[in-house]
This record gives sequence, structure tokens and C-alpha cells, in this order.
Amino acid sequence: MKKSLLAALAAATALGCLPVAAEDLITSDRVGPSDAPKKMVFRMTGDGPSSTDPTWAAGYTKLYTDFINNHPGWQLELQMMTGDISQEQARMLEQARAGHAPDCAAVDSFVLPLFKQAGVLKSLSPYFTKEEIDQLFPFVRDGVTGKDGQVYAWWWSTDLRVLYRNKEIVLNAPETWADAKAAALKSVEAGMEGILFNGSRYEGTGFDWLGNFWGQGGKLVDDAGKPVFADADNRDKFVKAVNYYRDLVESGAAPKRVATIGNYDDFNAAAAAGTTAMFVGGNWQYRQLQNSMEPEEFAKWTFSPLPGITADQRSTGTGGWTVAAFSSEPEKVEMCAALAREVYMGPANALQEQLPTRADLYDKYDIFKSEANQTFAKALKVGQARPGVLIYPEISNQIQIMMGKVLTGAATTDAAVDEAYKATLDAYARL
Amino acid sequence: MSARAVRPKLPFLWATGRHNRVPSPYPWLMPVILVMGLFYLYPVVDVFRYAFTDLTLLGGEGHYTLSTFGNVLMRPELLQILWVTFVFTAGSVLGQQVIGLAMALVVVRSEKRHLFGTTILRTTALIAWVVPGIAGGIIWKMLFNEAPFGGLNSLLRLLGMAPVQWLSDPDVVMWSVVLSNVWRGTAFSMVVMYAALKAIDPSLYEAAEVDGASARQKLFFVTLPQLRPAILVNMILITIQTLNTFDAIISLTGGGPGRATEVLSLYTFNVVFRNYDLAAGSVLSILMLVISLGLALVYAAFLPKDEKA
Repeated sequence: MKKSLLAALAAATALGCLPVAAEDLITSDRVGPSDAPKKMVFRMTGDGPSSTDPTWAAGYTKLYTDFINNHPGWQLELQMMTGDISQEQARMLEQARAGHAPDCAAVDSFVLPLFKQAGVLKSLSPYFTKEEIDQLFPFVRDGVTGKDGQVYAWWWSTDLRVLYRNKEIVLNAPETWADAKAAALKSVEAGMEGILFNGSRYEGTGFDWLGNFWGQGGKLVDDAGKPVFADADNRDKFVKAVNYYRDLVESGAAPKRVATIGNYDDFNAAAAAGTTAMFVGGNWQYRQLQNSMEPEEFAKWTFSPLPGITADQRSTGTGGWTVAAFSSEPEKVEMCAALAREVYMGPANALQEQLPTRADLYDKYDIFKSEANQTFAKALKVGQARPGVLIYPEISNQIQIMMGKVLTGAATTDAAVDEAYKATLDAYARL
Repeated sequence: MSARAVRPKLPFLWATGRHNRVPSPYPWLMPVILVMGLFYLYPVVDVFRYAFTDLTLLGGEGHYTLSTFGNVLMRPELLQILWVTFVFTAGSVLGQQVIGLAMALVVVRSEKRHLFGTTILRTTALIAWVVPGIAGGIIWKMLFNEAPFGGLNSLLRLLGMAPVQWLSDPDVVMWSVVLSNVWRGTAFSMVVMYAALKAIDPSLYEAAEVDGASARQKLFFVTLPQLRPAILVNMILITIQTLNTFDAIISLTGGGPGRATEVLSLYTFNVVFRNYDLAAGSVLSILMLVISLGLALVYAAFLPKDEKA
């Protein structure tokens, strides 16, 4: 009797502990058992179990649980980045130079050249097959490959900018700048704010707008990496693209408050509140709109490629995230590559509907066969990544400053462009 | 002859007198000196060292050079940055000082009359003070949002007034930023002024009353002269604090539109963390140090001599 009581108690205790053990496998800052002998520090964005989107958080929790179960003896220490990506990446670069970087981290694709230049990344080439590398889109492969031919990060997702619109108010997709202005003015007549876009001191301000410049064949830098965006060949295209935004504000097609917008969430809020009918946003916002709106409201929304100066002169900016290794321990570098492959390269794309960087993954996952994602994939064909040069952050900074002055009428377009160009060239000379 | 003059010079560790042994203070001070040196002095020395180099965050060893000073101080945007910094600092310091003093006077007067709400007023102000700068910036960004659903503009519309371009008008945005900073920093001034008001000798007010002074005369001829040292010390502290403020601005405007609200501390932050220019950031830090010290000396010159001692 006593023995059976003890056995029952032991069984109850064991059963009671099971859920606790399962809960403990993933905490806010750790994945895997806390007493695992091997540990890798991973600094990440919100693309993980702590995602603010409950669906994504649940999906990542499963992906990470499967991952850590496939790698017994390991635990991941998770370090979360804040929303100020530029600052986070700069800080991580400094830490890496001082030898204090995390073992593995999410690196924004547009600052990857800085990390490669600093020589702080470890090669991931041994952990990916030639076939996997060959499947990467060319601009992605070029972006992650160093001068020595080694792959220094795994670029797993890409994105692009499109024009969202409320079909009830703007029926046809604007194809040109003139179409966009006319449609925006029509939406203003319908009581809306007009077209919204990022226009404040924010990386997205320059990046979202650059498609208007690139679509005309404009170049930011030459083959040597020197800024040329306002030289004899490019200045006219650059000024025209700036004047497009200026005209939108001055004509009332866009509210002046665009000069204060520096967050894609503001567009979601305005769309959900029914105060705008058009905005320039990222492809990832399609799912966010779906999650935040009632189905009948979401059904009114659609998207199309960004308008161009003419219908056949269109482009869009493409970005995305990479996973890179900093550790000097090969075992941790391999673990980092495994994390990129098993969690992010494919599964995370499908979970978040973040566009994959490999052509074959569009066929592998059904979700990318949807009409919306097929349209995004087509738009990628005119996509352009930010130049992988050291001066790009300063070009972006100067475009943000210039845009603020132009949109608020604090300076003429010509003066603001010339000032931005001179400041960029000065910064280039100091590099 | 003063006591200090006859005190024997102490050896480093132990002073031995004829009849007793006087312990030297140095062993007791060493931990503080070491901590101060390690955590305060060393970074300052490093900043000065970096300023004489061309170091960046992008790699490379860097070389010693004087050219960084010239390059940074001759930048065309620096003059505008300094002007923006001046307006922001002057507006914030004046606002915090005046409103902090007014609130302290109200609190002291209310306490004397045992009025209801004194504690609520004090606590409310202190809550604003403990809100982190970034959070404060986000709160004010929501209030200043110029969208149809923005906080303050919705209120103005309810009152039948025209909305204000709080953040998109270059002529208004600086005052919006100053307002948010005054909101956050006033509690500190209130606390300093409150303590100083409590320390004023009540007999001065009794004497003024005997002389038939009005409330206004008591304020200008008793209270303010008595508060002068506290006001000056407070102004030194909040000036330095305001000069270093960038967290609230970065989350409210990011320094924009254009450079309309880019103060020196934010510019320094941008130079280091967005342009990766460590040497230029160090030169700008030294410039901030010089400005802070200069202003502190100016304020200190107005302190009564015995207060300075």
C-alpha cells in the first residue's frame, strides 16, 4: 500500500513537472534547457518567439522548439534588438570590433557591407551547399559574398515597396506619378487625407522613395562606390523624383504631416481608421492589414507596383534580413548556420509571408502561390537593393534631411539637393 | 594662525605624532578615486584621445591627426545645429525654471493653508520626471500626431479650433519639442525650488509684513533674492541636463523635419551611430563639454561669493 502510494506520488510529480519542463524550453531570453552544456548567443529582431503578432509568436515558438530538439545539448540565449535598427546595428558593429559581439545575429542587409568591410563576420560557406547558394537571387548572392568569394551571411528574406489603395475610393491602380496625384486628390475630395508615405528622419523615407529615382535609370553611386546621384547624368532624374513628392504635398494630394511619418505602423493605423485611401508601404503590411481589419474592410484593400514617371519606368526598393556569425568557435558558427537554414530559410518565410530570397522556395511553399505573393514576386523583378557601399548610410541620412526641408517648404528642391550632394561627397572624402 | 596651518603634513598611509597616530585619509579615499578614475576619468581621456585621430567604427587602426577638429568645426551645418541647440536649451531651461518655481510656490502656499490636492500636484509632476526620455517622446508623438485621430488636434477640433501642425511646421516644431521637454523636466526644478523655499527664514516674511509689504513685494524683495543661489545652481544642473538631451527628441522628431530639431547631442549621436565617425563624434563631445563648462562658469559668476566657497 505504502509502495503504491509512493509510486502514485512519484508519477503525479513527474506528470506535474512535464508541462513546466515544456514551458521552460522557451523563455523570453532562452531557448533550450538552461543546463545545456553548449550555449550560443543570438541577437535577433522581432522575428522570433517574442514577436508582437501572436500568430507569428506561436509559429516561431514551434520552429524554435523543433530546432532545439534537433540539437540536443544546446541552448540559445536570445538578445532582443530595439526598433531603432540603425542604432542597434551600429552598436553591434562596435561590439564586434571590440570582440564582444554575440555569437550569431540578425544583420540588416543594407548594413551588411559595413560588417564585411570590418572583417568581423565568419564564413558560412562550409555550411551551405553550392546548390543552395546558386538558388539565391543574384542581388542577394552578391550582397552576402565577400571579396574572397566566401558567403558571410545568409540573407533569408527580402521585401519590397508597393502602393496600397482602397479600391472603393481608388478603383484603378495608378501607374504613373500623374495617376497617383490625381487618385490622391480624388481621395481627398472623398474626405481622406490623401496619399501617405514616410517623410521624416527615418531610413524608410529615402528607401521607399528611391524607386522613383531608380525607375528613371538614376544611380546613387558609381562602380567605385562614389556618390553620383546629383552629378550631370543623374541630377535631373533626382530632382524630378524629389519634385514628385513635393508636388504631392503642395497640391494637397498628400498631407503635410508626411514630413513627420517615420513608421509603417502609422499607415496601418490610418488605413484601419479609414482616414487614408492610399499609402506607400512594404509587402509585409498586407498580412498586417489582414490581421488588423475586419474581413469586409480588408477586402477593400489591394496593392500595385509603385507608379513611375511613365508606366514603363518603374522600380522599387528591396531590403531584407540576414543571419550572420561572429563567434570564433567553429561549433557556434555551424550552429548559427543551422539556425539560418532550419528556422529562417523557408519556414520563417512561410510563417510570416516574408518573401524568400531563393527562387525554388516560391514553389515549395503553397503560401507563396497566392495571388498576392505571386504579384509581389513579379514586382521583385524591377526591385533594386540599396548599394552595398560604405557611404550608403550617409546618402540615406542626407536624403532624409533633404526630404524634410523640401516637404515642409523650408528649402527649394535645387538647394536641398545640392546641399545633400555636397554633404555626401564631403562624407565620402572622409571615409 | 588657523588650525589648517598648524596641521602636520600627513604621510601617505599613516601620520605619527609624538603621542598618537593619526590615520591618513588616502587609503579611505582610494576606492572612490579609483572608481571615479576608472568610470569617469578614463572615458573622458579616451574621448580626448579619439578626437585627435581619424577613427571610425568601420575598422582600421586610425591615425593621430589634428585635421578632425578642423573638419568638424568647419562643417556648414554646425552653425544651424548650435542655433537649434541654443533655442532648445534656452526655452527648456527658462520654461522649467519658471514653471518649477511657480509650482513650488503653489505647493508651499497650499501646504500652509492645508489645501486639498497638494500631494496630487507634486506626485503628478514627479511622475512626468521619472518617465524615461524615449517613452516621453513617444507619448508626446501620439499627442502631437497630426493625423485626423491625433491627440491634441482632436481636442482642438472638439473646441472648434483649427488643428496645429505641431511637428511638420519648421517654425512650430521646436516649440513642440521644448514643451515636451519642459513637461518632463519641470518636476526637478520644482523639487529644488521647494527645498529652497522651505529653507527661507520665516522671520524675513514676518518683518516684511510688519513693513506692510504686499505679496508681490514679498516675492520680489524676499523670496527671489533668497532663492538666488538655488536658482543659479538649478539652472546649471538643468542646462547641462538639457544640453545632453537627445532621447526624447530622437523618439519625437528624429531631429527633423530636415534639421529643424537636431540639437548638438543628437547630431553627435548621429555622427557616431549613423555615420560611424568616432573621431568626429569625440570632437563634438568635447564641444558639448566646453559649452556646458562655459555656461556653468557664467552662472557661477552670479553666485554669492560665500555660496561659491
